[in-house]
Amino acid sequence: MMSLLEAPRRVRLKVIDIAGGEGVRRRLFSLGFHKGDEIECSAQGILGGPVIIKHIHSGVTAAVGRGIARKILVEAVDGTR
Amino acid sequence: MGPDSAPVAIFIGQPNCGKSTLFNALAGHKAQTSNFPGTTVKHTHSKVNIGGRLLQVIDLPGTYSLNPSDPAEKVALTHLFLEKPDVIINVVDASLLGRSLELTLELIEMEYPLAVALNMTDLAEKKGIKVDPHKLEALLGVPVIPTIATRGRGIQELVQAALKCLEADCRRARPPWSGDVEDEIEKLIELLPQDFPCVANKRFTAIKMIESGHLFCNEFLEEINPSLKKSLDEVRAALEGKRRLPVYEVIAAERHHLSQRIFEESSRVQRRTKAGWQERLDGLIMHPLLGYPIMLTVFLIFFLLIFKVGSPLETLLLKPLASLKAVLQAWLGNRLSFHLADGLLQGIGGGLAIVLPYYIPLLFLMGLLEDIGYLARAGFLLDTFMHRIGLHGKSISPFILGFGCNVPAIVSTRILESRRDRVLTSLLIPFIPCSARTTVILALVAFYLGPYWALGFYAMNVLLVAVLSRILSLFFKTPSPGLILEIPSLKIPRLKNIFMKVYFQLKCFVQFAWPLLIAGSLILGFIQSCHWDKAINTVLSPLVVNVLGLPKELGVTLIFGFLRKELSLLMMLQALGTSYQNLISVVTREQIVVFTVFVSFFIPCLSTFAILWKESGKKIAFLSAGLSISVAVIVSFLVKLLI
Repeated sequence: MMSLLEAPRRVRLKVIDIAGGEGVRRRLFSLGFHKGDEIECSAQGILGGPVIIKHIHSGVTAAVGRGIARKILVEAVDGTR
Repeated sequence: MGPDSAPVAIFIGQPNCGKSTLFNALAGHKAQTSNFPGTTVKHTHSKVNIGGRLLQVIDLPGTYSLNPSDPAEKVALTHLFLEKPDVIINVVDASLLGRSLELTLELIEMEYPLAVALNMTDLAEKKGIKVDPHKLEALLGVPVIPTIATRGRGIQELVQAALKCLEADCRRARPPWSGDVEDEIEKLIELLPQDFPCVANKRFTAIKMIESGHLFCNEFLEEINPSLKKSLDEVRAALEGKRRLPVYEVIAAERHHLSQRIFEESSRVQRRTKAGWQERLDGLIMHPLLGYPIMLTVFLIFFLLIFKVGSPLETLLLKPLASLKAVLQAWLGNRLSFHLADGLLQGIGGGLAIVLPYYIPLLFLMGLLEDIGYLARAGFLLDTFMHRIGLHGKSISPFILGFGCNVPAIVSTRILESRRDRVLTSLLIPFIPCSARTTVILALVAFYLGPYWALGFYAMNVLLVAVLSRILSLFFKTPSPGLILEIPSLKIPRLKNIFMKVYFQLKCFVQFAWPLLIAGSLILGFIQSCHWDKAINTVLSPLVVNVLGLPKELGVTLIFGFLRKELSLLMMLQALGTSYQNLISVVTREQIVVFTVFVSFFIPCLSTFAILWKESGKKIAFLSAGLSISVAVIVSFLVKLLI
C-alpha cells in the first residue's frame, strides 16, 4: 500500500482508503471516486503540482492537489504492466 | 405549476454535461456555455412554445449530487426543493455514464416526473462506449432519450417525452438497493410521523436524514421528537456497523455501485488500444515540462492576434471619425451644442472605432479557449504556482474569465468550495485586465509604444496579482482546502456555438456598456462647456500632476473611469481636445504608460463594485475599492520613477 504520490504512472491502481476528512471524501465521491475503485495516475505536475487521476470504469479524469493525493492510499492491481 | 400555470420543466445534471447547450438549443441562446465544469452558476429562465403548449424551462447550475459542496450547487438544490417542478429533465453525459447516473438515481428517489436526456452520445461512441437507451430505460424505470445537444438532435423527442410524463405517470419500479441497507431505511420511514415536514416523499427524506448529519432538521429533532432522534441515531449506527464505513459513505457507495452496475448492463465498452487524438494532444498540453511553453505560446498568440486584428481596424475606423469632428467644429463653433455633439460622437464613435475592434476578437478567442476545454488544463498546470501565492488551480478559471469581464468572473468564484478562496479570488479579480482595460492597453500602450510594451504591461500585471495574493493570503488564517478539479475531455469547438456566444456578449455590451460610454461622454461635453471640469481638475491636481506627473486636464477623466474603464480613454482625447492620431504631440510616451497603469488599477468599475457587494458583501466591496486606489497610486508612482 502506498499513497497516490508514490504510485507509478500508467498502472492500474486500486483505491484502498481515502484518509481525508468528510469534506475531501465527499468531494471525491461526488466526482465518482470511491474506496475499492480502480484508477490510473496519468500525469504529475512539476514542482509539487497536482496529480491527474483517471477512473478506469467511468472514464472521469480529475486533477487533485498534492495534499489530497497524499491522503489517497492505493495498491497496484496485479496483471498489469 | 408556475404562476401563469404553464408547467415548469427543470434542467438538472452534473457539471459540464451539456445542460446549457441543450437548454439553448431549446430556448434560444440565453445561457452561457463552455467546456469547463461550473459555467452555469445561476439559474436561467425561459418560456418555450412546443406544438402549441407553453412550457417554462429553467436551466440550473450543474451539481454532482444532492449534497452540495459549493454555492453554485446550492442554487440548484434550493431551486429543486422550493419550486417543486412539474417535470425534471435530467441531462446525463453518455461518455461518463457510470458517474452521471449517481445523480440520476438520487433524482429518481425524489419521485417527481422525470425524463433522462442521454447527451453527448456522439462523444461516447468516439470513446468506444455504446449505450443502449432501451436497456437503460428498463433498468432505471424512467424514459431515456438520446440527444446530441451541440447538433440539436433528439430535442423534440425529449420535450415530447417530458410532456408525456406530465400527463401520465411514466415511472416504473425504481432500481433496488442492497437488502440490508434498504431494511434500515424502511425502519426509519415507518417511524416518521404523518405530519413530518417531508421533502419530496418519506423515503427521500429518511435517506437525507441518514446521510447528512448536519441537516437542519436533524439538529432540532432532539428537542421536538427525542424518540425519533434516538431511532435515527440507531439506524445510522447500525449502517456504520454493517459496512464499517461512515454512514454518508455507505449511502454514497450504494448509489455508486448501483450506477456502475446499471452502466455495465446497459453499455458496451470497447477500449481502444490506440490512443485517440484527444489523449495524444492532452499528453502534450498537460506535459509536466512542455505544457508550460505551450501555454505561454497559446497566450502570446491570443494577445498578438487580438492586436493584429484590432489595430488596423481601429486605424481604418478612426479616419472618418476625425473628419466628422472637424466638420462639426467648423459648423458649430465652440458652443454648448458642439461640446454635446462632440461628446455624442466620442461615445458612439469611440465605442465603434476604439473598443469593438479589440473586443470582438477577444470574445471570439475566449470562446474558443473555453469550448476546447483549455481552462481546466491551465488550472492543472498553474496549480503549483497558485499554491505559492495562497490559492489553488481552481481559481484559474475565474481569473481567465476575468480577462473577458470581471463581473462574470466574480460570479464564477461560486465554483470554489471555501469562503476563504472565494473572497481572496474576488479581491484579486479586479486587478485582472478585463476587455475594457485590454482596449486601453492595446489602444494606448501597444499602439504608441509597440506591442512588446503592452506584453511587458501584462507581465507586470500578473506579477502584481501574485504579490498581492501572497500578501492578502497572510490575512486568512484558514488554509485552502486543496484542489479537486474535474478535467473535461477535449472537444472540437463548434463555430456556430462560438459565434452565438460572441453575439450574446456583444448584445450585452450594446445594451448596457455602450449607453454608459455615450452618457459619460455627453456629461463630459456638458461639464466642459460650463467649464466645471477646471474646478474638478484643480481639486485633483495634487494627485494627477504632482504624484502621477500627468497633464492637469486628465483629472476629470479618471473620475469617469469608475463607470467604464474605456471611458477614461475616450475622455482623455475629449479632455485634451486632441484627436487620437495627434495624441502623442500632447502627452509623452511615459505619461501614456503611467495613465494606463493608473486607469487599470485605480478602482473596480461600477459593475464590478456592485457584483462584489452582492456576492461578498459591503465590507469586501469597499475593501476592494480601497485596495485598488492604494495599489494604483503606489504602482503608478513607481512606474513614473522607473521609466
